[in-house]
Amino acid sequence: MPLAIRIEELTKDYAVGFWRKRPYRALDRLSLSIETGEVFGFLGPNGAGKTTTLKLLMQLIFPTSGRAEILGSPVGNVAMRRRIGYLPENPTFYDYLTAEELLEYFARLFGIGAADRKKRVSGILDRVGIAGERRLQLRKFSKGMIQRVGIAQALINDPEVIFLDEPMSGLDPLGRRDVRTLILELRDQGRTVFFSSHILADAEALCSRVAVVAGGQLAASGKLTDILAFEIRGWEVVLADMSAELLARVSDLAKRTTEIGHGRYAFELSIEQSPERLAAELTSRGAKLLSINPIRDTLEDFFVRRVQQMGAGARSGENTRARD
Amino acid sequence: MRAISWIAISVFRESVRDRVPYNLVIFAVLLIASSFLIGQLTAGQDVKIIKDLGLAATALFGLFIAIFIGIGLVSKEVERRSIYPLLAKPISRPQLVAGKYAGLVLTLAVNVAVMTVAVYAVLAYMTWSVPPEIRGVWDAPGLDPAMLKAVFLIFVELMLITAIALFFSTFSTPLLSAAFTLALYIVGHFNKELRNLDQVVQSKTVARITEALYHVVPDLSAFDVKTQVVHGLPVSWGYLALTSAYGALYIAAILLVSIVIFSRRDFK
Amino acid sequence: MRRLIVLVVAVVTFAAAIGLQITRDRRYASDVRETERLLYIRTARNAQRAALAFQAVAADIYWIRAIQHYGGDRLSPERQHRYELLAPLLDLTTALDPYFTIAYRFGSIFLSEPYPGGPGDPEAAIALLKKGIGVQPTKWQFYHDLAFVYYWHKRDPVTASEWFRKASEQPRAPNWLGPVAANMLIEGGDRAKARFLWGQILTSEEPWLQKSAIRTLQQLDALDAIDQLQEIVQKVPPAAGTPYSWEGLVQRRVLRGIPVDPAGTPFEVNAQTGEVTIANASPLYPLPRYARPSAVSGQGVRER
Repeated sequence: MPLAIRIEELTKDYAVGFWRKRPYRALDRLSLSIETGEVFGFLGPNGAGKTTTLKLLMQLIFPTSGRAEILGSPVGNVAMRRRIGYLPENPTFYDYLTAEELLEYFARLFGIGAADRKKRVSGILDRVGIAGERRLQLRKFSKGMIQRVGIAQALINDPEVIFLDEPMSGLDPLGRRDVRTLILELRDQGRTVFFSSHILADAEALCSRVAVVAGGQLAASGKLTDILAFEIRGWEVVLADMSAELLARVSDLAKRTTEIGHGRYAFELSIEQSPERLAAELTSRGAKLLSINPIRDTLEDFFVRRVQQMGAGARSGENTRARD
Repeated sequence: MRAISWIAISVFRESVRDRVPYNLVIFAVLLIASSFLIGQLTAGQDVKIIKDLGLAATALFGLFIAIFIGIGLVSKEVERRSIYPLLAKPISRPQLVAGKYAGLVLTLAVNVAVMTVAVYAVLAYMTWSVPPEIRGVWDAPGLDPAMLKAVFLIFVELMLITAIALFFSTFSTPLLSAAFTLALYIVGHFNKELRNLDQVVQSKTVARITEALYHVVPDLSAFDVKTQVVHGLPVSWGYLALTSAYGALYIAAILLVSIVIFSRRDFK
Repeated sequence: MRRLIVLVVAVVTFAAAIGLQITRDRRYASDVRETERLLYIRTARNAQRAALAFQAVAADIYWIRAIQHYGGDRLSPERQHRYELLAPLLDLTTALDPYFTIAYRFGSIFLSEPYPGGPGDPEAAIALLKKGIGVQPTKWQFYHDLAFVYYWHKRDPVTASEWFRKASEQPRAPNWLGPVAANMLIEGGDRAKARFLWGQILTSEEPWLQKSAIRTLQQLDALDAIDQLQEIVQKVPPAAGTPYSWEGLVQRRVLRGIPVDPAGTPFEVNAQTGEVTIANASPLYPLPRYARPSAVSGQGVRER
């Protein structure tokens, strides 16, 4: 199956400074492959190059070097854009149009015929939850409603690949959940979703694969489970019915002890300590074992650690770059 | 092709719903209507001033609308970033520029038509309410169809100015684009002075520069046949044809440059 | 309640401001009017530059200002103003719109009008009209107006006649211009040329023009006759105490009979002064005004 998105050594330099001498590298030789049907999370702190990458993919800006392909066609290909959808970050549309009119307008640009158009516009407005405000002028919409309109216009043409730049921004928790459900639906329909976010919880919940960028460079990429799997930090053992003396002893051993209920305690053990041995020992002394769980790195831990690594590397590399 | 017409209609719709151009047209119509009253001050020259004021108002308000919407075409959209979702659609950048321009020309046409109808309405009333002896003294008939020649050239001039506004807005901020376009409008009307400068200036190189400028800067004063038409002097079809052709070529050149700039531009 | 009080205070303050304005205007009225007498743009060239594509409207505005200026000075109670801006304003108006016919015509009339009706500047009027002719050489009205200025304000019937003649040569000129030109010559004392012009008009196809020509030629003859008779009467005055009369002259064998004008009516001679005139009853009455002729030509005196 052909790759949905293929990015090869994509680089973007901006000329900054009054005399435009020092180039600022917003993206440094990014290479990624995204398979069809994946939900791909593109993560990174602010200013890492996420939006730059998306703009390069939409050809809003032109690369300094490198190339990218979507659905087998180079990003500049106009015909290919019939099959994709794009939601920009903090989108703005035309104030004077109503939601319905905006979607109709875009639908026409896709060449969708009149009868089909009406159905689709109605359908998508319902799906994103603003069917009631369809006749309202966009200037009267709140941020969250505009975000929904943005999602609607990204989906109006039934795209195979959908690009979302910070899809959750501006939405309240209910809205966030709606979008999450929507993305999962899209995945179930076999579409490819490429979204950038700095909210890791969303990525954790949705993505099969992620990439982390920082300072314009790719910090890591791969399956979520892979990234997090080998990063077990420790163990959590939950016990109940412990005598005071037993409790004191285990607390010494454990890195952290938390009382989570009456008589119930959660102990955080370091990775070296074998939790089974401890559990066996304690149960033989009359304690009740409730659960043993590995404590994995959250994505956030991984993220922060990697970004800090990149930062350190970048700082030493910055001096060399400036001299180029 | 259809994409272009769709963008054009969208631009037209925006101009209709956007309050400023709407108000400008209303103001223009009111001014034209009031020219009837101003005529009372001119000791029997009512028809002349109605025609003068009507044509001038059409030209002036057309200019404001052309600049205002012309800047909004691209500059404002880029600034507000509403152009992002549009660029991601299956339309090429040249199509976008062409569509926007077509939309603005459509808007201009409607506005100019409205103002022309207003002028003719006032003139019709004037002609009807004045006895035939006085009508005989007028330089040109009240409901003179020759005035349409002046209106036509005004319209071509407006299309040219719009193209210039569009050109500036492909790479400049809204405020600067408006300023540059207005400046070029003024210089374009001073064009004849540029040509005569070589008689006044000492240095030959400066004279050659000004002559080059004379040809590069759009010759806007050539589109002004208002005085001739009001006084019943003939405006030949040959002149109309040549001037319109000049306008059309200039517009084409500017649009092509605009398309090139727009196609290579990064939208940060 | 408080908002209402604030609003009322605002209105009262505003009214007070207006009251102050009225008071100031009353006290310092002349200052206000003085500034209106400024021309911000002095030369025609600059006005053209400033007006860009709106020269016709600018011309209209200057025209309105010219009329207001004239009317204001004409009606002003102090009668001190001397219409000093009229010529420059008309100059600007016509520079901005060279085809603005009425501006030239109005200008010529009121510029030449002597004080208090106008600035009394016929030279300015003539310059303005010649400018108009430069732009529209076939407009007979301009020539006509020039003739009028020469005739009425400069008292130069000969030049006036010349301009009338030129006017009559322009297309669509009314056909009374030729006769008027010719008659002016009579006044200017050039009866020979007048005869010549009228002789030409005699060949016209218009019946009333022909009749006018015949009559005027007869009047010219009458004028010549009067001149001759006047000489004779003065040369041979009657005896002291007796009145001037034709009978007396016939009796003294100076004349062979009572002199008669070309229409057949006897001339009259004033009993006291001896002035020879045409009879009121004559069909040729009244004769055109005339100056002393430079040369007497034409037919001699006809006697009954």
